Amino acid sequence: MTPKSPSRFMHGLAICATAAIAILIFDGTMHVLLAQTPFGGPRPSAEPQVGGIVGWLLARQSEFYREMSSTIRAAKSDGSAVWTLLAISFAYGIFHAAGPGHGKAVISSYLVANQETARRGIVLSFASALMQSLVAVVIVAICAWLLNASAKTMCGAEKAIEILSYALIAAFGARLVWTKGGGFMRALQAPRPALAMASAGHGHGHGHDHHHHHDHDHGPDQHVHDEHGGHAHGPEPSELAGPGGWRRGFGAIFAVGIRPCSGAILVLVFALAQGLFWAGIAATFVMGLGTAITVAAIAVVAVSAKDLARRLSAGTEGGGTLVMRGVEFGAAGLVLLFGVGLLFGYLAAERVTCL
Amino acid sequence: MNVARRLLGLLWLAGALVLAAGTAQAHPHVWITATSELIYAPDGAITGVRHAWTFDDMFSTYALQGIETKTKGVYSREELSSLAQTNVESLKEFKFFTFAKADGKKEKFEEPVDYFLEYKDAALTLHFTLPLKTPLKSKELALEVFDPEFFIDFKFADKDPVRLVGAPAACQMKFQRPNDGSANAQKLGEQTFLSGENSNFGMMFANKITVECP
Repeated sequence: MTPKSPSRFMHGLAICATAAIAILIFDGTMHVLLAQTPFGGPRPSAEPQVGGIVGWLLARQSEFYREMSSTIRAAKSDGSAVWTLLAISFAYGIFHAAGPGHGKAVISSYLVANQETARRGIVLSFASALMQSLVAVVIVAICAWLLNASAKTMCGAEKAIEILSYALIAAFGARLVWTKGGGFMRALQAPRPALAMASAGHGHGHGHDHHHHHDHDHGPDQHVHDEHGGHAHGPEPSELAGPGGWRRGFGAIFAVGIRPCSGAILVLVFALAQGLFWAGIAATFVMGLGTAITVAAIAVVAVSAKDLARRLSAGTEGGGTLVMRGVEFGAAGLVLLFGVGLLFGYLAAERVTCL
Repeated sequence: MNVARRLLGLLWLAGALVLAAGTAQAHPHVWITATSELIYAPDGAITGVRHAWTFDDMFSTYALQGIETKTKGVYSREELSSLAQTNVESLKEFKFFTFAKADGKKEKFEEPVDYFLEYKDAALTLHFTLPLKTPLKSKELALEVFDPEFFIDFKFADKDPVRLVGAPAACQMKFQRPNDGSANAQKLGEQTFLSGENSNFGMMFANKITVECP
């Protein structure tokens, strides 16, 4: 075991680091929030002026999107234009996902909060993007194709779905906060010696810490401890692979995926009007594939960043647990914040096309 | 020893999360080509703004979805009247993307009047007039047209983007596009950019109309 004073130092450091994360997350959130001030306050920086990679991306996606309408028109007389349409849609999807919506933030935060693996992050990203595409196709198929409803009706449907999606994200976040809050409070309240003992003796404290002090924690007995102990330290990896873990994942997919992309709806209605609905559907799914790639990449960054943080904080006895529980709690809070922020309009999401 | 590394890792994590949240910036889905007229009363007071906004191909088609017409592909003003109604009602939520300041003071607009839609060359044009709550005479009038969320990209027409109608002869109009040289010059001069009114970032992508009447 580490001598007492350095470990106390580490403990203090861990708390400082947690505070730093909290401040950073808060800061980032505030930026997003403030960016929404409609007039007078700081506005989002001018997209056309943004330089570097972001500016380039934003410039490209506008081009791709504008090319879509002309390509669909061209496809009416020239079938090969459909291939161009699909290529444009794919590229657009990749760039487009960098914009608001599409659940990047929600999925990433969920993955961090819930000890998810990068592999599951990728699966979740693809599943939610697929669902977004599916919902867009279903809305347009029912509203525009079957019912010949007006844009106003369609926008009403979109708005209702949007509210449902945000409420689901908020509820999902609240549930995560509830679960993760328990683990965090326990890690916070646990007296240091008890924690050190726990990690040495019972092995419920450091289930995920690949730390040389805790080699004996990784055996199957650790899982047994967790089962009958009923500790709220977040799901163990083995537990996550089970059906319960996947069910939780479905919650994330559903909450994020139910809200379709406004761009896809526009493309679908346009394609329908040109008598090429099938091309619009194909474009929507290819767009979703592109979106999934970007969302998955961001999700993997979040997961690997968390893994790194876990490795680095593993040196702190107990404090490492505290830091990680704090990070999970913070990420869970972020999901809740996103949901509430989106629901009440404090956060920017891609607007529904209602004019 | 690995204190710095540890902190770095934690910051990276936070960074990734913030990145995930922070990249949430809008980009346009709807493009509008606009022309605007500033309407003046005989006594020289400005009474309102008359806009003509032409929507892009894709949005025009979307907006026309489900609208019944006598002749396919031909939309009369009457057939489009309910859509025009919907348009102006929806635009209210966004303050008609038109923001006026007279001598530095924000001015409000009334509900739009004389609104109608026109369909020509596969594009819809929305015409509407925004009356100012109180007609005013001011030394300097600044009018901005833009979408703060950048869901709609406003581009003023190349030809006659802004006209003054019935303005006193002494009034001088300046029109500044979001991407033109003067905006960039402002950006380059960091001192001016960071101080005073120039520190407002949003100005950079607003279409700004300034009228000075000495």
